[in-house]
Formats: sequence, structure tokens, C-alpha cells
Amino acid sequence: MSAQTSAPRRRSGLARVPLLVWVFLLVPFAIELFWVFWPAANSFSLSLTRWDGITPAEPIGLQNFRDLAADPIFLTALRNNVIWVFGFGGLSVVGGLVLAVTLNKPGPLVGLYRSAIYLPMVVSLAVSGLFWRVMYAPDGPINGTLGLLGLESLERQWLADPAVALGAVLIAAVWRQVGYIMVLYLAGLKGTDPTLEEAAAVDGASAWQRFWRIVMPQLRGVNTVVFAVTVIDSLRTFDIVWAMTRGGPYNETQLLSTYMFQQAFTTGNLGYASAIAVVIFALAIGFIITYLARQARTED
Amino acid sequence: MSKRTTISERALTRRELIAGGMTLGAASLLAACVGTTTGGGGGGAATTGAVTLQNSVQDAEPKAALEALVKAYQGDEVTLNSVATEQFRAQLTNYLRSGDAPEVLSWYAGSVARSYADEGLLLDVSPLWQGDGVCAGYSDALRGLSTDAAGKQIFVPTSYYWWSVFYKKSAFEKWGVEAPTSWDEFHALCENLSGQGIAPLTNGLSSTPWMASGWFDYLNLRVNGAQYHRELLAGEHAFNDPEVVAVMEEYKRLIPYFDKNAASYTAQDAATPVAQDKSAMYLVGAFVTSYFPEDQRDDLDFFSVPVINDSVPIAEEAPTDGYFAAANSDNHQGALDLLSYLASTQSQQQYIEQSGSANLPTSPDVDTSGLSPLVQKGIELLNNTEEITQFFNRDSSDALQATADTALTKFLAVPDSMKSILDEWQTAAEGVFAS
Repeated sequence: MSAQTSAPRRRSGLARVPLLVWVFLLVPFAIELFWVFWPAANSFSLSLTRWDGITPAEPIGLQNFRDLAADPIFLTALRNNVIWVFGFGGLSVVGGLVLAVTLNKPGPLVGLYRSAIYLPMVVSLAVSGLFWRVMYAPDGPINGTLGLLGLESLERQWLADPAVALGAVLIAAVWRQVGYIMVLYLAGLKGTDPTLEEAAAVDGASAWQRFWRIVMPQLRGVNTVVFAVTVIDSLRTFDIVWAMTRGGPYNETQLLSTYMFQQAFTTGNLGYASAIAVVIFALAIGFIITYLARQARTED
Repeated sequence: MSKRTTISERALTRRELIAGGMTLGAASLLAACVGTTTGGGGGGAATTGAVTLQNSVQDAEPKAALEALVKAYQGDEVTLNSVATEQFRAQLTNYLRSGDAPEVLSWYAGSVARSYADEGLLLDVSPLWQGDGVCAGYSDALRGLSTDAAGKQIFVPTSYYWWSVFYKKSAFEKWGVEAPTSWDEFHALCENLSGQGIAPLTNGLSSTPWMASGWFDYLNLRVNGAQYHRELLAGEHAFNDPEVVAVMEEYKRLIPYFDKNAASYTAQDAATPVAQDKSAMYLVGAFVTSYFPEDQRDDLDFFSVPVINDSVPIAEEAPTDGYFAAANSDNHQGALDLLSYLASTQSQQQYIEQSGSANLPTSPDVDTSGLSPLVQKGIELLNNTEEITQFFNRDSSDALQATADTALTKFLAVPDSMKSILDEWQTAAEGVFAS
């Protein structure tokens, strides 16, 4: 909005930025450069080497990436990551939005519900993982409840059966994430203009139409944030999978991040692990750029 | 946006100036800190009189026993860092590589320690093995396990234990069965127990998938012998060779006997059904005794996996635990002193008595007459065996163990794909040997 008016002022203002402000900008930038960007850049060059972390790294060109393409565990991890991005992203966004819209209306105990749903977010992912491991134990509450309901046929070795293990971990992760997305959307909903919705209601728009045509367009800013947060969170998911299954049974729940960790720190293939890190980076950047480009186009 | 432009438009207020000064101060302080840690990290720890003992002792009683030992140490001040085993395994390379490495670390003898020694990360502890050194009287087998490729000793073994099929005497009595003495009897016993609605065997493969290697090791030892087993783990044979297929065929016959929850249990959880008489037998290391309630420990007994092929020498697995010292630490003398203390006859005696785990002493001078009958039987088992191996990862590497974990847990879940699983295992193993 103010971009047009402030643009010329900003240009002339650039010269008048006091030295102190430059220092404020440059000191953190230098620290960031040294502690974040430099190590990150290093992982690119490491991905072109074979390195066990002790002896000097041996440059091998793109061999790591060729090996990745033929590595069945990597391909499983990649497939799982795609499932994860859509499953984790989709379920937590839809769930969070539904909860936010439901709990945005005043009602009895709304505050309590909101806090209760947000509560899992307070607990660390590793602890959530341990908690869900107990839930999913062979004689744990979930199988126990199914047994009580007479649904013994649905009882499973939730974390040991490759057919359901990834889904079981996914549910645990969504359980935690959904409260966070809900809070983001609640904040967004507070920023929408209720008079627009009232006007649409007077004009005879149904609740569904009002939501999609009036409320959703106003949530565009929040959507961008939610999208970025979700994609980044789903690509960097590590702790909950590690705490619950360690990528097992036989690598069927391996994600790119857990496989990277295993390669780097259990088997000591730091070059190979860096190649996986580069793939994760490319995926994350790819998702975000595509999304931002689409956003920019729709805004034009 | 509008707020940001105003800052540049007006003069700085006093508050902003102070805040700015404070930030600058903090930044320079931070820089100073960075300077001291890089420059002074070594210097700080170089003051002799302090040693760090990084260890992976996890179970409650052995941990308490180690703490008591360290507390009674008269020498340098010891910082005891206990890290969960899996974490320790993952971080061990980093510990040893760091410029300010912990002086003494607990770990395993054999090829794992040797591979670190080959990289120059371990301190030469030969002085302890010579003259009147604390390890001078240890057996030749232990000396061999603790020696690196260059002929130096780099490891101080302090205890070892045996693997066997553990069971509860009272439960066997209740079910009217006896420990088997032949492979056919073992299968008959499993059939009998299954018929009574008891899971004959238990195992814990969820976060401890390496437990699947216990049966693999023993079946390979019984079918192909210790020599073949060592060669296989050193990459001299392929995992899809007919010899390994024969081992897997034997393993396949056991699959129906395992507790149906084995894939969900951890090694520790898997002892629970045995304690509750729902499951009968557990092929596991002697550390399992500490997983049982105290009042059941005297009830435990074991038998060795029966002979399958009587043309191969009888072999048992006896993993050896102990300590090595980092070459990159500052207090080498302190490390040697602490190692001498930990390996001394008296310390071993005290540790074994307090840890509640069925460990065997490495020092021949430890008085074993006071130890439990179970431990006595363990000592006898190892004294009478012709060959000793350690365990899959200790006889190979953690990287090869990872390939075994994948292959064996998958095999146990889908035994019919054995052929393709073995091919995948061999491919993965070749990758490990090539790197």
C-alpha cells in the first residue's frame, strides 16, 4: 500500500542512514554469514566429496548424486517425504483452519478448547514422540480401545507394520502441528473485516460462499505464512520420526532428514549425507519459489 | 514500513543510543567469548588434575555402580558424562575427533576400537599391558582383542558377558519342559510351548533392530562356524552365498515361534513377556538379568544354542566392554591413571557386585567364588567353548550393522522375499566395504 509513496523517500534515505544503523545491520550479518551461510555453503562442496569426518575429504564429483539415484533407501525416503509434505501439510492446514473457524465464534469454554488444542505445541517433538510410542504400543491404549470396542481386527503393530507406520507417525505430528496452524489462522481471522461478511449475508450469500469468497481472500497473507511454515516444517521433520521409529521398520518410515542423520552420524558418510542435505535444500527452495512466484502472479 | 523510515529521519533519541551502545557492547563481548573458547578451550582443560569419563552406561544399576567407583577414585577430579548408548554411538567419532576430547571413553573391544586406532584417534595404552601394568595378567584372547594393527594395545577391557538362550526355571517347571540339548529337541520344545499357547521365543526389534543379529550370528556360528562368520563379516564372502541362505533357512523355521509383538518391543521390553510367563526364551546377552525384577533374577537360567552342524567347532558370543583413551585429550597421564584404576581387580570386583548385571571380570585375580551361580555358569560356558566371537557390530562395524538391521528385520517381516533381501544386503554391504 505505502510502497509507492515511500519508494523515492527510501532511496534518498539510504544515504542518510546513520552509521550506527549500518553497524547494527552489518554485525549480525557478519555473524550470520560466518555461523550460518558459510557452514551451509560448505555442505554444498562436501556433497561432492567422500568424507568420513576424519581423514581428508576426497573429491568424487557428482558420484554421490548418482549413488543417491540408485539407492533404494533414498528413494523410499524421498517418496515418504512427498507423502509427508502433502499428508502433514494438508491435514494440519485443513485441520487448523477448520478449528480456527469453529473456535473463532464466541461460545462457552472456547478459550479452554483453544488452549487445549494448542497445548501439544508446548511439548517438544521428542517428548510427543515418546508419548505416542506409548499410545501405539502393542498393548497400549489405542489397541486396548479397539479391543474394547470389539474392533480387534483393526489392532496393529502400529509402529512396526510398514503398511501403517508412516501414517501412525504422521498422525502424531499433525496432532502437534494443528494447534499451531489454528493459532495462525485465528490471528488472521481477527484481522478480517466482519462488516464485509455481514454485507454478503444481507445480499443472500450462503455460509459456504461467504467463507470462500469473502473470508478466504482476506486470509491471503496468513496463507503465505502458513504455506511457508508448513513446507519448511515438513521438510525438516526429524525428531518425531527419530523418537518414534528411527526410520524403521527396515527404513520404511525413513524421511530425507532421518536418512541424512543416519548417514552422517551413524555410518559416518558425511559427503553422502551432505548430498542428501542439498536435495532437501533444493526441494524446500523449489516449493517456496514456485509458491511465491504464483502468489506474485495472482497479485499482479 | 512507515516506522522504519522515521528512524532515519530524526535524530537518535537518548534511549536508542544507549540501547545501541549496549548491543555493540554485547557484540564485542560475544566476540571476546568466541575468542576465549577457541583459544582457551585447550588451555582451560590442559590444567592437569581433571579427566572426563564419557560413557554409554544406560541401565540404572550398572550406572550407579560406575558412579560409585568414580566417586571413590583418589586421583584427578573426574567428570562423568553418561550418554544414552545410541546417542553415544552416533557421537563417538565426534568425541574422538574434537580438539578437546574426553580423556577416557567407554566402548567395545575388537574391530570397532581397531578402526578408530587406525585413524590415529586412540591413545597407546601399552604401558598398562606391560610389566606390572594392570592388564599384564589378562588372557591372550583379551590382549588380542585390545591390540591394533600396529601391535599396540589401545583398549582396556574391564568386563565381558556371554550370549545364550535365557529362560525362567520356574516357568519351565510349570510348563513341564526342560532345556534342550539338541537342535531337534529345541524345535520340539518350541512346538510344545506353542501348543500350550506360549510364545516360545521373544525378541525386541523396534528401536533396537540389532537384536535381530543375535540369532543370525548364532545360526551362522552353528551352521558355518566361527571362521566363516568372521570372514563373512570382513567382506570375504557374500551375504547371498548358499552358506548364508542355509543360515536364513534355519532362521525362517524359527519365525513362527517368535512373540507376535517382537517387532514393536525394544530389547528391554522383550524381557517383560518372559517375566510374565507369556513368553519362554530369549536369546540375549547376560545384561538381560538387570531387565528382570529383582526377585526373579535367581530364577533365571540359560542354555547355549544347541549344535546344528557338529562338524564346526562350538563357538559362543562374548562381547567385551571396557575403555579406551582419546589421543586428542590434554591429560594423557590422567587418562592412564584412571584406566588403571577402573581395570584394577578391586574396581572390577566392586563393579560386578554392584551392577546387578551378569558381567564377567577380565582380571584373572577377581575372586569369582562369591558371584551368583548364573555368572559361575557363564564363566564355565566361555571356558569350555572352542571359539569366541563378540557380536555382529563388534566383529565388523556399525555401518555394516546398519545393513544387517535393515536386511534381517525385513526378512523377519517378509521371509518369503529372502532371496531378494539377501541380494540387497550384499549390495549394501559392498557399499560399506567400498567406502
